[in-house]
Amino acid sequence: MTTAAPPAGPPPAASTIEARLALDRQRRLRSGGGLAIGAAVLVAVQIALSSLGGFPESLVIPLSDWIDDARRWVIDNQTSHWSFSFFFNPVSDSIDWGLRAVEGFLLWLPWYVVAGATAMIATAVLRLRAGLLAAVGVLYFGAIGLWEESLQTVALMTVAVAIAVAIGVPVGIASARYDRLQQSLRPLLDAMQTLPAFVYLIPVVLLFGVARVPAIIATVVYALPPVIRLTSLGIRAVPAVTVEAAEMFGATPRQTLRKVQFPLAMPSVLTGINQTIMMALSIVVIAALIGAGGLGQVVLVSLRGLFVGRALEAGLAIVVLAVIMDRVTHGAAGIGGRRRLRLMPDALAHVGPVRSVEGTLSAVDRLLLRAGSLLAEPLSRKLDMAAVERHPRKVLGAALLAVGTVIGAAIGRSDFPAGISFSFAPAIDWLVDWVRDNLYEIGGTWVGTGWFSDSITIYAVTPLRELFSAELAWPVVVLAVALAGWRLGGVPLAAFCTACAAGLGFLGMWELSMDTLAQVIVAVAMAILCGIPLGVLAARNDRFERMLKPVLDFLQTIPSFVLLVPVIIMFNVGRIPGIIASVLYALPAATRLTNLGIRQVEGEATEASRAFGATRGQTLRKVQLPLAAPSIIAGINQTVMLVLAMVVIAGLVGGGGLGLETVKGLRRTDSVGSGFVAGLAIVLLAMLLDRLLQAWTRRFTPVESGP
Amino acid sequence: MGADVGDDAGRDDAGRDGTGAAAPLVCTEITKIFGEDLGAAEALLAEGASRQDVQERTGCLVAVRDVTFSVERGEIFVVMGLSGSGKSTLIRCLSRLIEPTSGTVEIDGTPIGDLDDEGLRELRRSRLSMVFQHFGLFPHRKVIDNVAFGLEIQGAAKADRYRRALQVLEVVGLQDWIDHFPQQLSGGMQQRVGLARALCVEPEILFFDEPFSALDPLIRRDMQDELLSLQAGMRRTLVFITHDFHEALKLGDRIAIMKDGEFVQVGTPEQIVSAPADEYVREFTEDAPKTKVITVGSVMRPVDGETPAGEPVSLTAVLDDVLPQLLASPEALCVADDQGEVVGTVDRDRVAALLGEGSRAGAAPGDGPLEPR
Repeated sequence: MTTAAPPAGPPPAASTIEARLALDRQRRLRSGGGLAIGAAVLVAVQIALSSLGGFPESLVIPLSDWIDDARRWVIDNQTSHWSFSFFFNPVSDSIDWGLRAVEGFLLWLPWYVVAGATAMIATAVLRLRAGLLAAVGVLYFGAIGLWEESLQTVALMTVAVAIAVAIGVPVGIASARYDRLQQSLRPLLDAMQTLPAFVYLIPVVLLFGVARVPAIIATVVYALPPVIRLTSLGIRAVPAVTVEAAEMFGATPRQTLRKVQFPLAMPSVLTGINQTIMMALSIVVIAALIGAGGLGQVVLVSLRGLFVGRALEAGLAIVVLAVIMDRVTHGAAGIGGRRRLRLMPDALAHVGPVRSVEGTLSAVDRLLLRAGSLLAEPLSRKLDMAAVERHPRKVLGAALLAVGTVIGAAIGRSDFPAGISFSFAPAIDWLVDWVRDNLYEIGGTWVGTGWFSDSITIYAVTPLRELFSAELAWPVVVLAVALAGWRLGGVPLAAFCTACAAGLGFLGMWELSMDTLAQVIVAVAMAILCGIPLGVLAARNDRFERMLKPVLDFLQTIPSFVLLVPVIIMFNVGRIPGIIASVLYALPAATRLTNLGIRQVEGEATEASRAFGATRGQTLRKVQLPLAAPSIIAGINQTVMLVLAMVVIAGLVGGGGLGLETVKGLRRTDSVGSGFVAGLAIVLLAMLLDRLLQAWTRRFTPVESGP
Repeated sequence: MGADVGDDAGRDDAGRDGTGAAAPLVCTEITKIFGEDLGAAEALLAEGASRQDVQERTGCLVAVRDVTFSVERGEIFVVMGLSGSGKSTLIRCLSRLIEPTSGTVEIDGTPIGDLDDEGLRELRRSRLSMVFQHFGLFPHRKVIDNVAFGLEIQGAAKADRYRRALQVLEVVGLQDWIDHFPQQLSGGMQQRVGLARALCVEPEILFFDEPFSALDPLIRRDMQDELLSLQAGMRRTLVFITHDFHEALKLGDRIAIMKDGEFVQVGTPEQIVSAPADEYVREFTEDAPKTKVITVGSVMRPVDGETPAGEPVSLTAVLDDVLPQLLASPEALCVADDQGEVVGTVDRDRVAALLGEGSRAGAAPGDGPLEPR
């Protein structure tokens, strides 16, 4: 530094440094001053309008009445109007027909054929162990007495996913080819993924009523984005030179797509389908609200009656279904690679008994292979398809299943045998009682779950709700939101935020929205306070990361509704279990992205910091965390959106707020209007939070070509 | 000035056309501009504005400017330039993978700019082929299916296209690897697959877009030798892009030096090395292996009266071939043409003068500067 200074030496250097420091102070003062002025304005407005409180009734737009009128019109005209007789009804009828066909077929199949087919598929794409586990999972459906409901859900999923893929893949291909389509689709897809699943239900109910077809339609809409996105992404990711090579050989656009782009995009497309399936499964319970039936219905009804054990049994069935489908589609997406017929982990391969088991297995496999070949050879000659001969195992499997089906049909025994049954519901119910009796206040002291949830309620949720909905004048809240928008994104964002916030009032949903908002804020704070430290720990300790990973995987795989059940066991119903479930639901996002962000910081930067003698804490504070900031902020963004989605769902188990109002609209035809309006308020709240957070995230995204 | 050289070369080629069959590839005044305001950019170019001017005033990038040349049947035409000189854009204009902004490309007398999509596809299927810098192989297809791709696109039966693909793979020595996927092969082998894929459709014209630049030096040399020996057998028309001057000298029958989108000089390797058109080209030639390029004919002293005795060397031999004889003999060697008639002499001093010239920037010792041929 001294060598770089001009000959004149200290005086100018010192003065520039002084000037810099002064400038720094000034800048800090100004930004602090800005905040102070903002706060002062808010306080002043609050004092001036303190009598105002909640949103005045007189300003509310009677949107819900209009919706009710529309619903009435739909009911009156369903049989006569052209849009129904030529569009909605045919669509509805054909979906219904498809669903009946799939469901009828699945239920007609003997139960052991269903289990066997699942096992065979899982073995084929994964390994024998997975196949056996999948079969156990399928048997679980029957054992808990939910065979029919499970297959109904499978049928519903099959039809919904088939429709989603049939729409999503072509749209994805088109949007890969046409930039303009991609650009116009993006905000739509973003919005679709941002909004809580709940929101889709009401408009569907408006048009199609409550039944299984609207449930399928809502599922399709909800699950569509990933398959579109990932198809488009996969095709766009094909290197330009590869496409160029195909064009250079004179391939037509169609040939290029079929022979080069699509095959190369296939892993991405399959990942998209996998995500679509998982999303569809995640709203099985929610779809049951509008008549999807199946497992979701069981969970819903049991929860409403507080039969927690039964709800957990059915919820677990959904989880089992999700895991089987996830693993199988993942396996199918991993193209190539030989699968070995192994039962035990490779690490044990040299142990004597294990080796003899594996030896027997491969002998059996060879035998099966020979049998398959015996069958496949004449078949391939007969069909004149060489391909058949190359898959003797599949031929044999199909033959076995066919024989099983025929036998089942002949002896008329396709239902799940009543003899195989078990239930852990009583144990769970006993546990619920025990928890209530013993953990609420442990050993007669004040420590316990009761104290925990009470203090959150008394010191956080209730004051916040009161503050937002009653104590603060509504213009103060709107103004605060507007100021935040202005600071993060200038005038356009401020205008957008103002519109959204005021919209909540105009819809007549001010109080409910503030209730939901208070829950969201408390849950987000808890999720961040737990999630980010966990992420930091995971990033710094490999063993901790390995331990955490399955937990996070599990939390992300189980459908949001099922997550509520164990929380209810611990905390009973009310607002708190909803908040806790939201925290659990959103925690993985915060933790994962913090961990990822820190781990992505280049080794060289960390090394350089260490080379200067920084402690681990200094390296974390001064190098890793700042560099990981974009990722962490993105994690917070996701956390907020996930929390919102879950808080809304928790309305069903006593969370109240907008969620409950929406559900009421679904349950009773006379309150469809207010349900719709509550749904719209959820949309406004979601968009408001999302835009603010997006703007915040952008501030932290490093500028390209910056220093 | 650069454009003038290009034009001269173009006219020169066009003149040669009169004597034999039409050149299979003729390009006239190809220009490619990237950007929004193409009209303004073209107008500026017509006024003679520089590439930088156009960029500053319209925001458009002039990638290729007024390039004219033709390639003879069986010739290897090398376009050499540094990165950003527009050579990759140029080669893509030749097959309309990139649509040129103006200018015409004629293949066997057909202006390809007039072709509709169908016609263009037909042309690419039947007559053109390309080898790409990063190979451009299809990672989801086995080696044999990569090579057979062109025939598959044309609708050839599986047996036919496999038979042909196997033939070509044998030529490049990969017959044992047909069931592998490209990423299981080394870089050199991958580019052999690329080469085989291009040859499989028996194209008349082959485009090479820096095909060997991603390979390490030894493999690159092998591939160059292999390409030359292949070309000796098949005599196809090749346009070869490279940024490596040595590669250009080794492979090119003629070389075009490209800078800022224009041809600076077009000529045989010998012409370019012995008479660089400007300082830019001279810099490349400075550490060029001149003795491998310059022929005896261009450094000999024409015979004047008496002819020296001794074994004559060939007029067309490059200096490298005669250096041992030259160094061994204190006397001048006599030079004979194709018919064996002695036409001149060459001695150590003349060669030394030439070799010294590059390193000492024209301060040629001995008996005066050399006149280029």
